[in-house]
Amino acid sequence: MYRYDEIDQSLVQERSAQFAEQVVRRLKHQLSEDEFKPLRLQNGLYLQRHAYMLRVAIPYGMLSSAQLRTLAKIAKYYDRGYGHFTTRQNIQFNWIDLEEAPLILEELAAVQMHAIQTSGNCIRNITSDPFAGVAADEYIDPRPICELLRQWSTLHPEFAFLPRKFKIAVNSAVEDRTVLLCHDVGIELKRSDQGVLLANIYAGGGMGRTPMLSELIKTDVPWQDLPAYLTALLRVYNRHGRRDNIYKARIKILVKALGVNEFAKQVEEEWAHTQTTYAAWTDADWQRVAQHFTKPPYKKLPALSQEQLIQELQPNERVGFVRWFERNVREHQVVGYSSVVLSLKPHGTQAPGDATAEQMNAIAELADRYSFGELRVTHEQNLVLADVESTQLVALWQEAKRLGLALSNIGLLTDIIACPGGDFCSLANAKSIPIAKAIQERFDHLDYLHDVGDVSINISGCINSCGHHHVGNIGILGVDKDGEEWFQVTLGGAQGHEAAIGKVIGRAFLAEEIPAVIDRLIKTYVNERYDGERFIQTVWRLGLEPFKQAAYAHDAKAEKEGVA
Amino acid sequence: MSGLIRFLRTQQPTLTQTDWQIWQPQDNEANVPAGKHIIPFQYWLTHRNNQQLLERAVAGEIGMWFAATDDVIDHKQLIHAGQKLWPMVAVHFPIFRDGRGYSTAALLRERLAWTGPVWAIGDVLIDQLDQLARVGFDHFVLRADQDRELGLRKFEQFSVRMQDSWRYPRTLNSIHQAEALTA
Repeated sequence: MYRYDEIDQSLVQERSAQFAEQVVRRLKHQLSEDEFKPLRLQNGLYLQRHAYMLRVAIPYGMLSSAQLRTLAKIAKYYDRGYGHFTTRQNIQFNWIDLEEAPLILEELAAVQMHAIQTSGNCIRNITSDPFAGVAADEYIDPRPICELLRQWSTLHPEFAFLPRKFKIAVNSAVEDRTVLLCHDVGIELKRSDQGVLLANIYAGGGMGRTPMLSELIKTDVPWQDLPAYLTALLRVYNRHGRRDNIYKARIKILVKALGVNEFAKQVEEEWAHTQTTYAAWTDADWQRVAQHFTKPPYKKLPALSQEQLIQELQPNERVGFVRWFERNVREHQVVGYSSVVLSLKPHGTQAPGDATAEQMNAIAELADRYSFGELRVTHEQNLVLADVESTQLVALWQEAKRLGLALSNIGLLTDIIACPGGDFCSLANAKSIPIAKAIQERFDHLDYLHDVGDVSINISGCINSCGHHHVGNIGILGVDKDGEEWFQVTLGGAQGHEAAIGKVIGRAFLAEEIPAVIDRLIKTYVNERYDGERFIQTVWRLGLEPFKQAAYAHDAKAEKEGVA
Repeated sequence: MSGLIRFLRTQQPTLTQTDWQIWQPQDNEANVPAGKHIIPFQYWLTHRNNQQLLERAVAGEIGMWFAATDDVIDHKQLIHAGQKLWPMVAVHFPIFRDGRGYSTAALLRERLAWTGPVWAIGDVLIDQLDQLARVGFDHFVLRADQDRELGLRKFEQFSVRMQDSWRYPRTLNSIHQAEALTA
């Protein structure tokens, strides 16, 4: 894992000192709220419904056990005992006092963390594959590039006041686990036949109220040229992106308005100039960073099959373990090792992605004992122990079970992605956490969940779509109608290489209708599916109509209004 | 004009006085008042053949300010010609969080090879000074209510930088360069 050098360390400490000084001026009313707002947002500090919320960066999802313990400490001493892992590989604390924010930033800086640019109209946290460096289907380890990009984007002077937020994801595996096409810029890394590291650049994706998938604008950019190329791209956006309407200010609108070819051409033209101005990354840069992402001291271990592992278990434990193994354990690059996903979605007891301080400390302990003291945060709001000896899987499973982190629901119906919603967020029109809870409670039967198989449900409390409802196989969006909370359902969304934006199936539902609606959608799938067909494949094959009919089969709204 | 910080690339930032005025005509037909004035580039575009204005420019009394919407690339030739004529150019910030001016300054320095002073004018606040200084600005007309003394110290908050910019190479590059020199 990357370790700060003196330059990184100085920067986060100086940033922390800068913010402390700005907070003092704010508290003395020498700085107006209007002028303070972009400053605090660029330090991850939001003013939420009830309190300040601090969003801490977890660059490309990598976290050490020491860092997680600090996050636990922050949760315990500065918040209400828990934190919320987000879809952007960040963690949020919802109950922060402004006066204490500088202290928290100091605590973070001490463990090589920060909240820089986790919000605001600037380049946000760089996200990537949570299985980077260990995934069996990886072309190359993207983390050195992610770290170089983190450094390059940190306090970039020209791009601190963009028209709107700017999100970059990096992928370099066969499967896309980064939702690459829904980012302002997606960087796809690969090696040429000659072994040269190159990047394909996608631009113009995003969710929000105008969801769009990005398009390929450039192939084969040498990795050394990424700073010059991205400077050119961001410069075109900074100069020509719309600023008159916040809803039309993302790069996707500019790319659409200009057309992909014209946008790409303008970037190309600018790149011809930035290439001569900005020093390319060098082999020395690469080595300085890449030395932190070398393989940990793996042992030579035998490959272990599931059958061999379950021999260690009592017969009554075997079904549970096998379920967990199938859903939560991933193949590893190194024989004898596995990656394990710890589920932060226990059924109906907490918001998706939430972890208590006690859990965080316990997970840090698991990371120390089972995975070289490191872990990762996933886009789906779970945590990963990336390097677990397969011989330790049974022991780990048993401990994770005791901690409430071993639910075998990864990728299943109850592995719901949800934003904090109206319980916390001042933007939200509706609550998302109770909906997630109600769905999890309704589908609590693991046999059924496993039989249904892969289905993603994404819930957003408002059109800003922090819960990424557009790319959920089933998306749920909170809408406000005359002060009442309603929920619109979309179908057909997907992430990964087959990324698609879901379509709204019809009028919105009441909160209490949602679990039954999901039930009817799933039953339709179960009745109609071919052997081995996933939910999304059935939806794409049949189209929306049969699902729509099922969803509205029992019209509670009509009933409520006395129409039925 | 009060509240001007001068921070040339190789010097320390200082508070300074100037007899330059920023001129915003109420009416496009107005004449530039007497004295040294920084005038809108759009005004120059329409009046640059006016003999009187040209004479004053030759006398070193006329500078240009670009609005956030002005595209300096579109006017490359004029700006090149202006190198010999205008003592300075300025970039106007309608509001401090409109970031277009940062790219304008970077383009003036990088693509248009503008070597003279570049002033930041308009809604210029002390918390943005460091970023402004790095993309190419070397004069800063602070908004009247800004704490000028505190502003001066705002350039020193960071000892390291992660990007190449007009003012500094990224810190790592400068370390590498120093190592190369001592090797």
